[in-house]
Amino acid sequence: MPPESLIEDSAHDDVAATTSPVKSSRPRGGRPSPTLRRKQLGRTTRPWLLLLPSLVVLAGLLLWPLVKVGILSVQDYEVKFGGGVGVYTGFDHYKDLLSDGDLWRTVLPNTAFFAVACVALTVALGTLAALLLQRLGTTWRVICSTAIMAAWAMPAVTGTYVWVWLFSAGDGMMSQLAGSLGLIDPETTNWFTERLSFYAIATLNVVHHGFPFVAITVLAGLLTIPRELYEAGMIDGANAWQRFWKITVPTIKPIFLVVTILSTIWDFKVFTQIYLMPGGAGSNEEVLNLGVWSYQQAFALNDYGAGAATAVLLTLLLLLITIVYIRTLFKESDEL
Amino acid sequence: MRKHVIGALVVTMALGLSACGSGDSGGDGGETSGKGKTLTVWIMEGTNPDPKPFFNEVAAAFKKKTGATVKVEYQQWATAQKKFTTAIEGGPSQVPDVAEVGTTWIPQFAETGGLVDVTDKVKDSGLNDDLVEGLADAGTLDGKQYGMPWYAGVRGLLYRKDIFEKHNLKAPTNWKELRDTALVLKEKEPGMIPFPVAGGAEMFATPFVWGAGGELAIEEGGKWKSGINSPESVKGITYYTDLAKKDKLSPAKVTTWTEKEVATDFQKGKVAMTLSGNWTPKAFVQAAPDLEGKLAAAPIPGETGGMSKSFLGGSYLSTFKGENQDLAWEYVKMVTTGEFATKWAEQTNYFPGQNSLLKEVQAKNDPLVAPFAKQMTEAGATVPKTPAYGQIQATQVVTKMVQSILTGKQTVQEAADQAADEMDKIFAS
Repeated sequence: MPPESLIEDSAHDDVAATTSPVKSSRPRGGRPSPTLRRKQLGRTTRPWLLLLPSLVVLAGLLLWPLVKVGILSVQDYEVKFGGGVGVYTGFDHYKDLLSDGDLWRTVLPNTAFFAVACVALTVALGTLAALLLQRLGTTWRVICSTAIMAAWAMPAVTGTYVWVWLFSAGDGMMSQLAGSLGLIDPETTNWFTERLSFYAIATLNVVHHGFPFVAITVLAGLLTIPRELYEAGMIDGANAWQRFWKITVPTIKPIFLVVTILSTIWDFKVFTQIYLMPGGAGSNEEVLNLGVWSYQQAFALNDYGAGAATAVLLTLLLLLITIVYIRTLFKESDEL
Repeated sequence: MRKHVIGALVVTMALGLSACGSGDSGGDGGETSGKGKTLTVWIMEGTNPDPKPFFNEVAAAFKKKTGATVKVEYQQWATAQKKFTTAIEGGPSQVPDVAEVGTTWIPQFAETGGLVDVTDKVKDSGLNDDLVEGLADAGTLDGKQYGMPWYAGVRGLLYRKDIFEKHNLKAPTNWKELRDTALVLKEKEPGMIPFPVAGGAEMFATPFVWGAGGELAIEEGGKWKSGINSPESVKGITYYTDLAKKDKLSPAKVTTWTEKEVATDFQKGKVAMTLSGNWTPKAFVQAAPDLEGKLAAAPIPGETGGMSKSFLGGSYLSTFKGENQDLAWEYVKMVTTGEFATKWAEQTNYFPGQNSLLKEVQAKNDPLVAPFAKQMTEAGATVPKTPAYGQIQATQVVTKMVQSILTGKQTVQEAADQAADEMDKIFAS
C-alpha cells in the first residue's frame, strides 16, 4: 500500500479540493447517455476483469486456507481415515489459550523482549552497515556486500547449528575463550540452560541472519537521496550526526518503516532458531517462545483447533502492532 | 499454519497423481495375483544407510511371486508423522498400501481407523507364536494387532573395554557398582565423561524409573494415570540425576545433550561408559575405526542386581485400508519373515521381530550383540500404549523434568510432581 494513501493531512485535502472541480465538470443534469453509461460500466469492471485471474488464484491459495484456519479454530478436530470430523466448540480454544499461565509467565514475555531486542539491533546494525557500504568505493562495496549477503543466504538451520557449535558448553570456542579469560568454568557452565544467555545467543543468531536485508534495503534508499541535500546541510554547518538525523532519516523514513515492520513480524514468529537450540524444543520451559509453544500446541498435541486459534491470535497481534507502528510513524512525519 | 495447509495440498495432489497412476489397473481375481498392479510402500530413511539394494531385491522377488510392481518411497522421520496424517485424511486413494510405522505411532494411526487389523492374518500364517512378545504387544490395542513387527532395538550399557581393563574394572551389575565404577573412571580418566546423564535423552532416564519399580503411567479401568511421581519413580530419578548433580559424573554440557551428542563424543573417545542403542556399536566403529575392539556391552544393571528394564522400540510394517490389502499383506509377510527379515536386521544392526530369527542372532554369541539381545528378550519395556503418550513425548515432559532437576531449578519431587500433572492433563484431554 503506498504510504501516501494513509495520510489525511490538510495538504492532501487541498489537493483533493483542487481536483474536485475536474470531476464535477462532467455533464451534469439529466441522465447520462447509454453509451456513456456503458463506457462507465466498462471503466469500473475492466480493472477487475484484468485482476480476476490473480484474484482467483489468491483466493484459492491464501483466502480459503485463511478462512479454513478461522473455522478450525472454533472446532475440536479429530483426524479420521478418509476425512476428519470437526465439532463446533465455540471460543473454547481461545479461552483455554488466553487462560494458560505459561503464556503470560514465560511465552509472551520471552517472545516480546526477544523481538524488541532483535528488531532494534537488526535495524541499527543494518543501517550502520548500509552507511558503511554507501561510503565505500565500487570494489569494496561489492566485496562487503557479498560478505553480508552470505550471512543472509545461509539457511536458518545451518546458521543456528554454527552458533550452537560456537557456544556449546565445555568445548565450544566461545566457552573455551571465556574459560581461558577466567569468566566462567567451562566444566560447570552451560549457557543454554539459562534464559538470558540462551536468548543472548539466539539474538546474535537472528540479528546476524536478519541485518543483511536491512542493510541492502536501507542502502537502496540511501542511494536515492540527492547529494544536494547533504551539501546544503554542510553549508549550513550541520555535522555528520545532524545530517544523519535531519536529512537521511526523514528522507527514507518509509524504508525504515518497512524494514521495521517486516523485522517485527519475522522476529515475532522466530521458530527454527529457537527450536534447534539445545533445550529450545520444549525440554527447557523457561525458554519457550510463541513459535515453539504454538507448534507444541498444534502438532505435538495433535490439537489442530488450538493450533489454529494460536495462529489467529498471532495474526491479530501482528496486525495490531503493524497498525500502531504505521500510525505513530506517520503522526511523527506530520509533525515534521 | 497456512504453509502447512499449502504443503498438505501439494502432498495431497502429488499423492493423488501417483494414486491415479496405480489405481485403475483392473485386477484379475486371484488372491495374490497382482499382475499390472502397483504397490506403494513408505519406508523410513536412516535405518539402513543404503536401503535401495535391499528393496530392489525385495521388489524383484515380489514381482516374480505376484507379478505386481512395488514403488518404495522413502520418508523422513522428522516429517513423516505429518505426511501420514495428511494421507489418512485423504482416505483409501492416498494412503500407502504398506508403510513402516514406528511402534509409538500405532495407537494414534489405529485410532483414526486407517490401519488394517491383521490379527487373523497373522494367526492364519502361523506367525503369532513366534513374535517377540514385547514388540508384538507394542502394536496390539484391545487385542487387535495392527501390522507385523519388523525390526526392533533396545538400549543397554556400552563401555570402553580398553579403559575398563586398564583400571581393572568390570561391567557393573547393580546401581551401587555403576556409581562406584563411574567414580573410579572420573578419578582415573579426567579427560573422559564417566557416565553421561543426558538431559535431552528420554530413554536414558526411563530405565532408572523402571529399575526402581516405578512406572511412567498406569492404566486403571481403561483410564491412564501418571506414575512418574510415585516414591519408586522418584527414587530412580534421584539416583540417576544425583550421578550428575552430586557425584559430578557428567559435566554441565551434558545437561542439554540428546543421544546424538553422546554418540558424537563417544566416537571422539571422550565417553567411558554410557547407555546406548544396540544399533550403535557397529555404527560407532564405522565412524571411528580406532574404536575397533575397544567396545564392550552389558545389560543395564538393576537396582540390586538383575536388569533394569529398557525401552523396546521398533518399527512395524503395517497395511493401510487402501485398494490392494491382500497384496499388501503378501508384501509384509515377505519382508518381515525369513531371509529378508534376517538380511534387513544384519544390514541395519537391529533385531528381527521374531523369536526364531532372534535366536539365530543370539546363537552367534557376538559380545556386542548378545547383551542387547538379553536385555531385549528379558527386560524390554514399552511406553504407555495410548495416543496420549505420543503427545507427552512430543511436549518433552520427561526430558523437561530431568533438565530442570539437573540445572537445580526444581527438586526431584517438585519436578516429578509437575511432570505428573502435565501427563494427567494430557491423559484427561
